[in-house]
Amino acid sequence: MTHQRPADSRTVHVEGLARVEGEGSLLVEVRDGTVETVELEIFEPPRFFEAFLQGRRHTEAPDITARICGICPVAYQTSACLAMEDACGVEITDQIAALRRLLYCGEWIQSHALHIHFLHAPDFFGCEDAVELAGLDLPAVQRGLEIKKVGNHLMEAIGGRAIHPVNVRVGGFYRAPSREELAALVEPLRRARDAALVSVGWVAGFEFPDIEIEYRFVSLRHPDYYAIESGRVVSSEGLDVDVKGLSDLVVEDHVARSNALHARLGGQDMYLTGPLSRYALNYGQLSPLAREAAAAAGLGTVCNNPFKSITVRAVELVYACEEALRLIAAYEPPDPPAVEVPGTAGTGYGASEAPRGLLFHRYELDSDGLIRAARIVPPTSQNLLCMEDDLRRVAQANLSLPDEELGWLCEQTVRNYDPCISCATHFLDVSVERR
Amino acid sequence: MLVAGLGNEYRSDDGAGPAVAAYVSGRMPTVDSKVISEPLDLIGAWDDADLAVVADATRSGSPPGTVQLVDLGAGEDAASSAGPMSSHGMDLPRVLRLARAMGHAPHHVAVVGIEGENFADGVGLSPAVALAVSEAGELVIRVIDEAASCA
Repeated sequence: MTHQRPADSRTVHVEGLARVEGEGSLLVEVRDGTVETVELEIFEPPRFFEAFLQGRRHTEAPDITARICGICPVAYQTSACLAMEDACGVEITDQIAALRRLLYCGEWIQSHALHIHFLHAPDFFGCEDAVELAGLDLPAVQRGLEIKKVGNHLMEAIGGRAIHPVNVRVGGFYRAPSREELAALVEPLRRARDAALVSVGWVAGFEFPDIEIEYRFVSLRHPDYYAIESGRVVSSEGLDVDVKGLSDLVVEDHVARSNALHARLGGQDMYLTGPLSRYALNYGQLSPLAREAAAAAGLGTVCNNPFKSITVRAVELVYACEEALRLIAAYEPPDPPAVEVPGTAGTGYGASEAPRGLLFHRYELDSDGLIRAARIVPPTSQNLLCMEDDLRRVAQANLSLPDEELGWLCEQTVRNYDPCISCATHFLDVSVERR
Repeated sequence: MLVAGLGNEYRSDDGAGPAVAAYVSGRMPTVDSKVISEPLDLIGAWDDADLAVVADATRSGSPPGTVQLVDLGAGEDAASSAGPMSSHGMDLPRVLRLARAMGHAPHHVAVVGIEGENFADGVGLSPAVALAVSEAGELVIRVIDEAASCA
């Protein structure tokens, strides 16, 4: 962090926002004691992929889009598969759907364990990173690693490998794992679930900034389960539409200062996706153990403090482990492991809950099954306006802090979102200007 | 023994690490060679290795295509002196320090870096970086051979 003090302004410059996957810049301008401007700029790789996909076969979309993000490839694969199956009018079997959900649980376990223990928790200890945190609380960091490894193993067992799974295809999987292969994961998952419960208690003990924000929550909702890999789109204001309805409603504005698009619902309203939204809109579908853990952590049925998203993630981590155990217990290997999805002319929509929020895809196919147009709307793009709004509130409420501390708090505010800018480049510069 | 190609081939020159891993895999098929996107995923992949050679794109200010060998050694403080050279969020020296703190580090880590030029979204390496892949791959093989001769 560097400090510059020109005659008419003050600037705090953080050279690279640590523990955020990606690159961008954040400017906070303060004039006469009021936060006047907050601009969060990120660079969005999905826009490149949208163009790159044109002319490709419909079957290629899952593998190509999985490369957008090293942290949540299953989210991209799943949303792409759902959209292609929708475009071609094909329904997968219940057994394939269950296996897809189980793979997605692996990604939630891996991603949430990483963010909670390695990327977010250091904030609450005043640590620069997980290395420093390990010096203060080695068992917690080791626990996070052990949980993450179980997520990796689950993804390897179903996806073929932990990073960028290769076993996923439109219509299902190339190969279904045997019952024995999945049974080997039961004990590790039980240990991960128990460890996740410990982590819920651990994060619940953190000291959180006192802030409550009335968000417009948006998430998927499934009639039977806590929504992960499919569902309709609902909001805290009564929205209830299919994914096409969401795609029609979401308008993305290009802002000249940024190459990121800002998503608004109905072209007007900012909205929040991610753990706080899923939790608020689907609390009743969490398992009893997860609800019990949430209550013990002091969470109600809705959480409006963005800094407590770490606690909600930990509750979801417990749920993902439990859900994986339930799915393995009920597992019937799909035979065949995939349904055929011949390419046909049409338009399809698919959405799933990436660990950091709702991710939806829309594809137009020609009669040969080639992609004519692609739209990929990642959670970070949908959350950008809420991030800026949070930053404005947090900065305004803490203007008395020295620049360095204010810059640090702004970084934390961005990290609450676990923003997936990863697929772009790797640094976020933070500037606070006071005039 | 592990050879890890760190990076993402859809990020232009960030694909240098995977390209080097593929080169080494072609020349030494019996060596455990992996492509890894996030440095943190090295923990778990390299835990029991005597030697891990990590191929990665660098942004150090050198001319594009410059191949560098950085020995992160075996000492407790060796990793912290290497500085942030990786293009990745949680850089390699930091991951190595974390691995050592948790008892999950290989005995010896060497990094073969290729200076990148373009990290924008896209496939394909810049010409200077593509030309340097074989040089970097041969360097990885030399490091492996030298380690074997010392064993």
